[in-house]
Amino acid sequence: MDVDIERLRSIVGDENVSDRAFDLYVYSSDASVHQAKPDVVVRPGTTEEVQDIVRYANEKKIPIVPRGAGSGMSGHTVPIDGGIVLDMKRMDRIMDIKPEDVLVRVEAGVVNDDLNKALKPFGVFFPPTPSSGNICTIGGMIGTNASGNRAVKYGATRDSIMGMKVVMANGEALDLGSNTIVESAGYQLHRLIVGSEGTLGIVTEATLRLAPLPKFRMIGVVNFDRLEDAGNAISAIAASGVKPSMLELMDHVAIKAVNTALDMGLPDVEAIVMFECNGMAKDEVDRDMERVQEIFKEHNGSGIEVSDDPKEMARIYAGRKKLFPSLSRYKEGLVSTSLADDMAVPISQIAATIQKIHEIAENNGIIMSAYGHAGSGLIHTKILIDPSQQSQWDASAKAVDEVYKFIREVGGTTSGEHGIALSKAPAWKEEKADQLETMRAIKKALDPNNILNPHKLQDAPDDWVTATDLRYKVRG
Amino acid sequence: MEAKNLEKLENEMYVCIRCAYCFEECPVIRERGWDTDGARGKVMLSYGLMTGDLEATQEVADRLFQCTTCGDCMERCPSNVTVVDIIAAARADLVKAGFSSETHERVIQNVKDTGNIYGDTEGGIEGKEGDTPLFVGCQYQSRPNKTKKFIKILEKLGIDATISDEVCCGFPMEILGFVDDFDEHKERFKAAFPHGEAITMCPTCTVFLREGHDIEARHLLQAILEVLPQGDLGMKVTYHDPCDFSRGLKIIDEPREIIKRLGCELIEMESNKDGSACCGGGGGILMSDQELSDDISLYRIRQAVATGAEVLVTTCSTCETVLKKAAKTVAELGEDTITVRNIEDLIWKALK
Ligand SMILES: Cc1cc2nc3c(=O)[nH]c(=O)nc-3n(C[C@H](O)[C@H](O)[C@H](O)COP(=O)(O)OP(=O)(O)OC[C@H]3O[C@@H](n4cnc5c(N)ncnc54)[C@H](O)[C@@H]3O)c2cc1C
Repeated sequence: MDVDIERLRSIVGDENVSDRAFDLYVYSSDASVHQAKPDVVVRPGTTEEVQDIVRYANEKKIPIVPRGAGSGMSGHTVPIDGGIVLDMKRMDRIMDIKPEDVLVRVEAGVVNDDLNKALKPFGVFFPPTPSSGNICTIGGMIGTNASGNRAVKYGATRDSIMGMKVVMANGEALDLGSNTIVESAGYQLHRLIVGSEGTLGIVTEATLRLAPLPKFRMIGVVNFDRLEDAGNAISAIAASGVKPSMLELMDHVAIKAVNTALDMGLPDVEAIVMFECNGMAKDEVDRDMERVQEIFKEHNGSGIEVSDDPKEMARIYAGRKKLFPSLSRYKEGLVSTSLADDMAVPISQIAATIQKIHEIAENNGIIMSAYGHAGSGLIHTKILIDPSQQSQWDASAKAVDEVYKFIREVGGTTSGEHGIALSKAPAWKEEKADQLETMRAIKKALDPNNILNPHKLQDAPDDWVTATDLRYKVRG
Repeated sequence: MEAKNLEKLENEMYVCIRCAYCFEECPVIRERGWDTDGARGKVMLSYGLMTGDLEATQEVADRLFQCTTCGDCMERCPSNVTVVDIIAAARADLVKAGFSSETHERVIQNVKDTGNIYGDTEGGIEGKEGDTPLFVGCQYQSRPNKTKKFIKILEKLGIDATISDEVCCGFPMEILGFVDDFDEHKERFKAAFPHGEAITMCPTCTVFLREGHDIEARHLLQAILEVLPQGDLGMKVTYHDPCDFSRGLKIIDEPREIIKRLGCELIEMESNKDGSACCGGGGGILMSDQELSDDISLYRIRQAVATGAEVLVTTCSTCETVLKKAAKTVAELGEDTITVRNIEDLIWKALK
């Protein structure tokens, strides 16, 4: 592709443009299975620079892919058509902290945890808590509508966005939303940008809504011999009116992974649930914890442990925390791939869905574990395969298809928090079949030259396996 | 390029899920800003070199040598990927393919010619018989005054060291990519230091005596702590954890206990213990990319200054040298600064 590197250098400075082979190679992938090289990587420092770059790209019809930390799991920032990758991490200023208006204004490259560190002295925080909060950017969180293990209480990124500055495909910078807690009618364009995965505009600044930092918290753990009981207990909690700040479930494959890799001695049961309640008053937290425990007991939960001692809380949560490395070390030669990595179902369907996932894995000769933020109906899986074997990819593709077919049947959705991009697009397009043309019309209206992160979401290829090169060398 | 060393770690490179958690405190990505600079980027470069998707060039080699091997990435990695092993393997393959830096070659030649990284033929610490084998290491061999002070401290505390006519532990060969040279050097090392256990002065040598030579090595601060009496220095100090101490050897509490035992008040820096920020002196960058090393060390010294302590104490002579220089630089820039000392200076002062 013919990209005028000198022109880009004149906008952002020599040191912020690279078309060196090794940089293009590194920016060709993210935390997904996909890989495709850009023609150039540019690191803008201001909204005006972003506008100039976008104007140029629009004029020459060059694809442009905004990128934060590149921690997306479905190929979000993999530039499937080449072009410009816009690394937004230089735009990392926290501009205005206003606890009195419960808001903060930041640039899009600010990292979630850096923001929360800066907010702490004011007794407030930005509530979406993705596990990747240590590195993911506000721009990326908006792009994917990220959330986390506390979404059960605080909601997702969209629930904490008041407004944003967005550079549209024609280079215009719009101030969407407002600085107020309520805003009445009219198209909520800032909400349209949330979850748009860089396909409608480039966020350069955002106004975020804050919540008070809870003063007290307590963590607990409970075991279930039957997965179904765990599912029913979680449903009962959801219906009870108690609002735990965390409800995490691990299935027996996940438990086995932790025990095999780290010898942690977790009980050999079908499911373990970790729960947390938080609040501003101790008696309120105690009351919620008691009610949650009662419900677990009513549903045959056993071995309950609870604590508000920081060391004990860390010990209780260690199993969940160690799950990730354990899955990577489950068995020599198998690696953990980001496939069918997240989905959400109505809470009453959690147990049935996990059971179905195990059945599908077994039928296809692969290993899948299921765990996740059960309190918001969110399930993560990891598919463990030998990535050098084509047959394992074929089996995974079939399993992914079958899992998402089931998800649709039970009224669930393809992604609860990680987003769609490429590898979840085929399933998502089936789910949203009736809306695809409307979405394409919106995309065409806002980005007529199709320059912004093209061929993702509704425009992604129908076969994720061949959509791009895979990041792994497949041999036989 | 032949990638024999990297091929052995192919699965390890697959275990990396490319999540970017390693960005969090990586000193190189913090100072340089490109994804290529972080551990994820370097693991990808390594993978690309192995598969042949990425051509080996001097620029790629430079990137892979721009790492202090401080290991912070491995503390943060959710998949426990052995990043430093991958980078060392990539360096080994690159060096074999002819991409080594002249300064690194000189260091290795020094080790081959003289047994130490500085090429010193004079000086060093004289041998003596005692009860406990002591491995001095190149850094302390070339700082005889400091080392003699340490040995006297040991004597005062009733530890009688055996000092051999030792040679470098060989770690520079391993980390700078000269692995074939290390295979040869290993025999020479064994002949000069034939002990199965030792106390050691340098944190890096301690790790490498264990991992590279199977010697039961114990850092002398651990031995000192057992016998150190209570002191009353009354100073306000902050402590810099050398990476091979807090992340490599998991020695975190002992230096802090020594500082308190000496009668000092300890104030922690913003990043500390196994999450300690790098000093900028490791992995060979001190020799091949001074500017990057300086930038990294300035960040750390500013963290130390921010504590308001009078003295920054550390337990590694490389950290000490680099941080002393950074303390001087911030003073020259008109900023507040801090005195930097190795821990033996404090122990010496207290025992006197
Ligand atoms: C180990 C691991 C754990 C994770 N845990 C969670 C979790 O708990 N919850 C969760 O929700 N997600 C999680 N994720 C997924 C991912 O981290 C989130 O989606 C995160 O919000 C992405 O942020 P990022 O800065 O890496 O964005 P990127 O991956 O760089 O980008 C994500 C999307 O946003 C777009 N984008 C980025 N910046 C901008 C911008 N300025 N303007 C417009 N669009 C932009 C990109 O084009 C892309 O489509 C996890 C990922 C990993 C690897």
